[in-house]
Amino acid sequence: MNCEDVQIHLHDFVKRRLDPALNGDVGAHLEGCAACSSAERAEHVLDELLEQRLPRYAAPNAFKRRLGLLVGRPASARVEPGRWTRVIAPAMAAGLLLLAGGVLLSRSSSQRSELATLTSEVVNDHLRVLASEHPVEIESGGTHQVKPWFEGKLDFAPVVPAPEGSELRLRGGSVGYVFDRKAAVIVYALRLHAVTLLVFRPEGLPWPDTGARQLGPARGREVSARGFNVVLWRDGGLAYALVSDVNEEELRGIAARFAAATVHAPGP
Amino acid sequence: MSGEVSSLDMTPMPLERWSRAHAPQRAEDTLAHADALYNLARYLTHDAGEAEDLVQETYVRALRAWSELAPGTNVKAWLFRILRNAFISRYRHALRHPAPAPYDTTEQSPEEAAVEGSSRGELEAEQLRRVLSSELEAALRTLSDDARTVILLDAEGLTESETAMVVGCAVGTVKSRLNRARAALRLKLADYAARDPS
Repeated sequence: MNCEDVQIHLHDFVKRRLDPALNGDVGAHLEGCAACSSAERAEHVLDELLEQRLPRYAAPNAFKRRLGLLVGRPASARVEPGRWTRVIAPAMAAGLLLLAGGVLLSRSSSQRSELATLTSEVVNDHLRVLASEHPVEIESGGTHQVKPWFEGKLDFAPVVPAPEGSELRLRGGSVGYVFDRKAAVIVYALRLHAVTLLVFRPEGLPWPDTGARQLGPARGREVSARGFNVVLWRDGGLAYALVSDVNEEELRGIAARFAAATVHAPGP
Repeated sequence: MSGEVSSLDMTPMPLERWSRAHAPQRAEDTLAHADALYNLARYLTHDAGEAEDLVQETYVRALRAWSELAPGTNVKAWLFRILRNAFISRYRHALRHPAPAPYDTTEQSPEEAAVEGSSRGELEAEQLRRVLSSELEAALRTLSDDARTVILLDAEGLTESETAMVVGCAVGTVKSRLNRARAALRLKLADYAARDPS
């Protein structure tokens, strides 16, 4: 088996989908061929990149709900085919009216649902920080240690707000996920409370804009879930979620200071 | 299967005209594939709104052909095939009279051989590891639609025979396309890594 033969099968070899005999032949060639062995390593790395770093776009929740209507979810009383044939015209008209009315009436509930989904996700991320034995990958002696650590780990440069002149203390940072995308997880301590700031790209995420209030120089939403308070805001092409069990007013104050630090930051 | 799909009416039906009463039994299970379909649609159309339109049209076509779906069919691959056909009919009308495309044959042109050869061995794994998400996405977007499709379907976990069903060609052709597409992607990534001063 020569190099050309091996390279044709290299991807299947890496994916472990060759039959045993062919797998053995390719493996034997790789042991004695530096060029093909190098190409095999590059194939491995390319698979890792595609799996771990290629942005994956999730269908927006509102769109999924529309698809749900199309395919019959949520379940509802269905009209039998025979009866449908007899009443097709009025049923179609009623369906159109229902759809049009539903769009108007469900807009606010849709926003609430999107907010609840996002809130639940960031609270879960905060809980992971609380439950972890090692909640930060980079321990902090200051923001100038934490911010550079994110270089090469994310496809954006998160601002790491410095909590100067307050009881808030920067503990460190790590990389996590919000839904399908990577996020900077920046962990602070306020007395005995943990405060988590998540920074992530908002593209493709349904973002509830209604009900936003002024938050320092930015506009944000304040919500609560499962005993935790959450403040959400966006700026410079990035989204921010601040989560903690500290009281609402105190967290709002921290969020306003952080928003002031992030609002003029360059976009990703 | 290809005949069933290609014989469908290509005129998209507006969502509001498709009654839920017509949704076939178990069609709601296809929602599990909505994210994967939308992801491929985003990479094909480069636009969130167009991706939604394309996925919606995919579901409309799938529901119309649902009764013809043979038992045991891989529904995910079948949906991908419908999406690809819908994409071609919506965005690539020129394909009705196609010119020879780089990824459409198992024969390799001298340019492709050069591309493949130059990418082999020269690009070290360590260089690749420095590539950022945005660079990877940008590199993928420079490839042809067919090359991008086979890479994404492979990353999605489809086997080569399933990918062959989606793109409508022989398994050997898929293998060849995938190898060349990945070589071209590595070459693009090498360009990015070479430009990176770090």
